[in-house]
Amino acid sequence: MAVHDESETSGRKESEEIDVPIFSAENMQSNMKVIYYSRTFMSIIGGVIAGILGFTGLTGFVIYFLVMAITSIGLIAKTGFSIHSYFTGWSQIILDGFLGGLMSFVLFWTFAYDIVHIF
Amino acid sequence: MAEDLVLDTAIRDWVLIPLSVVMVLIGVLRYFVSKLMRSAQIPDAKLVKEGQVIVRARNLRAAANFIPPKSFRARRLYYSNEENGLLYVPKGQAPNAQAQMFSDPNMAMDMMKKNLSMIIPQTLTFAWVNFFFSGFVAAKIPFPLTQRFRAMLQNGIDLSTVDVSYVSSRSWYFLNLFGLRGLFSIILGEENATDDTQRMMQMTGFGFTQPKSLGAEKDGLDIVQHDWTMPKFERRAEAVLRKLVR
Repeated sequence: MAVHDESETSGRKESEEIDVPIFSAENMQSNMKVIYYSRTFMSIIGGVIAGILGFTGLTGFVIYFLVMAITSIGLIAKTGFSIHSYFTGWSQIILDGFLGGLMSFVLFWTFAYDIVHIF
Repeated sequence: MAEDLVLDTAIRDWVLIPLSVVMVLIGVLRYFVSKLMRSAQIPDAKLVKEGQVIVRARNLRAAANFIPPKSFRARRLYYSNEENGLLYVPKGQAPNAQAQMFSDPNMAMDMMKKNLSMIIPQTLTFAWVNFFFSGFVAAKIPFPLTQRFRAMLQNGIDLSTVDVSYVSSRSWYFLNLFGLRGLFSIILGEENATDDTQRMMQMTGFGFTQPKSLGAEKDGLDIVQHDWTMPKFERRAEAVLRKLVR
């Protein structure tokens, strides 16, 4: 998918032992934007998939969390498993924007479900 | 009633898809219109100058540990000096600036324009939806809700035995309203005026923080404890080089 090819090459310098962290604010912001776009895109795709496959009720929300988890794993793999040179911590890459894609997911889920199953 | 209703294909063709398409198009239109309207703004020189001073003070605070103590203190004095320090705002002036911000005609006009450009398309679309698309079941949402949502979601439908999952087109409108924000942020790039909370934060942030943030910056600068990192850097360089050599 085009979104996942976006390069996350803007790492930030950080010293290993002695503590002075040096951030490049622009790079960190652009990294957060990449996460946001990836999650939004994946939640839309996930919604369409859930609708086509006909999941209803709680199973659909389980699919949403599954898709978010897959997105997180994909992003972590993209950083080459060295999160700390791109983000300030685990919470940023895993939890950020988690619930933001929920509304888009529900919209596209309803849309696909109705088109395929009801009409 | 647990059976599935069978809905007419015409509903899908003439209600769901046109409504979504119209909302996307209106969003795109609003984005371009707001872009065109915004380009006529000339920033006020005094505001920009003070904003830049704040940015400089913030940089000083962030990078304080990389310069020797004496230079840091000299710079800090430059900012927070009682007589002619850049950040020092005498008590009398501060509330004035804020009141002026409100009554400044430019600022008020801009805020009104932005508010209108948000509210009018939403109101018009909502009225259109209510007029044309009311009184029938439009879609089925795939998850069950309690009976209390019935009044909200099934507005035009007067049968009380229909499952709450079958909703009217008004709720399809609201669903679109919230769900398309993500889509807009992908299509239109980062800057789009469709998220009202973001826009309001931007607007008020620029106008209000002006006199207050000068005082806040000065206080922040006064608080900073200077801890010069230069002595430690030799050790750090040694550690890094050792790693390379190994």
